[in-house]
Amino acid sequence: MRPYLVGRPFKAVFFAASALLVILIAVPLLRMITSTDPGALVSTMAEREVMSSIFLTLRSAFWATIACLVLGIPLAYLLARTDFPGKSLVQGLVDLPVMIPHTAAGIALLMVFGRASFVGKTLGAMGLSFVGTEAGISLAMAYVSIPFLVNAARDGFLGVDPKLERVARTLGASPRQAFFRVSLPLAWRPILSGAIMMWARGISEFGAVIILAYHPMTAPILIWERFQAYGLKYAKPVAVLLILICLVIFALLRWLAEPRKEA
Amino acid sequence: MLRLERVRLQLGNFTLSHVSLKVGQGEYLVLVGPTGTGKTVLLETIAGLHHPCSGQIFLKGMDVTHMPAEKRHLGVVYQDYALFPHLTVFDNIAFGLKLKKKGTREISRTVSKMAQFLDIRTILKRRPRLLSGGERQRVALARALVLDPHMLLLDEPLSALDRLTRDRLRGELKRIHSELGVSILHITHDLSEAFFLADRLIVMKNGAIIQEGNPEAILKRPKDRFVAELLGIENFIPARLGAGGQLFLKGLGPGDPPVFSASPTETEKAICLIVPNWAIQLFPDKNNSDAYLAMFPMTITGLERAQGHMKIHLKHTGGERLRTTLSWREMNELPTNPALGQEIPVGLNRKGIHWVPAD
Repeated sequence: MRPYLVGRPFKAVFFAASALLVILIAVPLLRMITSTDPGALVSTMAEREVMSSIFLTLRSAFWATIACLVLGIPLAYLLARTDFPGKSLVQGLVDLPVMIPHTAAGIALLMVFGRASFVGKTLGAMGLSFVGTEAGISLAMAYVSIPFLVNAARDGFLGVDPKLERVARTLGASPRQAFFRVSLPLAWRPILSGAIMMWARGISEFGAVIILAYHPMTAPILIWERFQAYGLKYAKPVAVLLILICLVIFALLRWLAEPRKEA
Repeated sequence: MLRLERVRLQLGNFTLSHVSLKVGQGEYLVLVGPTGTGKTVLLETIAGLHHPCSGQIFLKGMDVTHMPAEKRHLGVVYQDYALFPHLTVFDNIAFGLKLKKKGTREISRTVSKMAQFLDIRTILKRRPRLLSGGERQRVALARALVLDPHMLLLDEPLSALDRLTRDRLRGELKRIHSELGVSILHITHDLSEAFFLADRLIVMKNGAIIQEGNPEAILKRPKDRFVAELLGIENFIPARLGAGGQLFLKGLGPGDPPVFSASPTETEKAICLIVPNWAIQLFPDKNNSDAYLAMFPMTITGLERAQGHMKIHLKHTGGERLRTTLSWREMNELPTNPALGQEIPVGLNRKGIHWVPAD
């Protein structure tokens, strides 16, 4: 056997498995895109309701991600670096939103932030309402997608050798300076990757959002509503448009988060 | 310069028990001990990265026991160098200077001076990932030295390097020490490194200091079998001190009494003779028998060729096994060429032998 043939069957199996999976993901999307009349797509783009709902979706998920970056990075760092009583419970709680049905998550949020609850009333008195508002959409998106960010950031910090932080301290850095000059810059790629995943998951959220804020209508709810009211023909162009916009944005972000080869 | 007084630290299952030590101004102190004995924990405690449960640490006469690491002005170099991978060599060295908010021009001048001193000017723009082990080590030293620390703390700084680079950097450490006059606490498990560099040596075991002194003194009088083994001594002969001060060598027959000036309290007890390889002499001079503690025939059971020397394994009919090392020159001076199975006369040279209580 010639040397380059060694391992060929192994690689072939892996290629076949990968190809099958990629096809499984791509074909339904391609089918949907190709079966949509370009004319219908253009006229959908001209609809104010559609475009504003897509932008509302992107925007709410974006703010949810930013808010969770501020709160999630400290939690991720603590989970990576310290041992404390109840750590596994906290870790389990962080993972929980991935597992529970998102409609259930929406109901749980409604119980706390709804107009009838104490928190909802208090915040409402301060002018901050989470039911039927953009803030509510962001809250529902954040609740169900936070595990993606926290877990990625925690893994990112775990990948930073604690010795580097210690050396920074001996070189005169306070714990805060060591964090901002060493740990965070070394973990930013996994954190960015987690933030992208969180944003993406937020955009796609339907169950929790519909319970907390049916209006203003996000794209997933608009698609569902059009499908219910007018059928597939009217729902499809909105779906295709959302897919195309997300595809461009996420390809770009993934490219940004990829490690570059140094000269 | 540095003084530790009964420092105790509990870290998980590990305990540092009442460690007291001193490092003088400009002194090169080497701390040896097997892996897992708490050397790194001790070094990090001195650096302020762990806080002792009790005891005190003084630096230049000031109590720094509870001072945070960033205020202590101690340079730390780790075994794997811990260079910041996201920064260039220049930025690694400049890290501490930038924290001190020095001006760009001053930083650049100070870094270049240090780079020149350690011969790393040509790699300042590179990232640590692309450097050789020796280069990384120099960068780590430069990063610590550029801040003009009170003291350098080196944690096995040479053990990740190949032999040639290690030998070169060993010389470099000596040069840094003599040219900058900086006090150094260096921890290692490599004895040749310890003997080459140390003004004074400290031996650690299970989180405690068990012996300290200058290297020659420790080598001559290791406190116990553990220290002797750590120093590379391979021969331990069980013996007994008789009531009259005689020495009985188990398995080798009675020795010539009295061998040691044993006080009455030290008679009638089991001891262990610590015999360095060089004290085992093949073909001893019979006319000069006073020089020897004992002479007896032994059989050659093994010959291990090494670079520059030959290690010879010997066995006594009583069962005792000894090992000795001969340079090629000494090998050539022997009356016959040693061969496996050959029986030859062996003498234990009094000068090199030292006894400790049996464990």
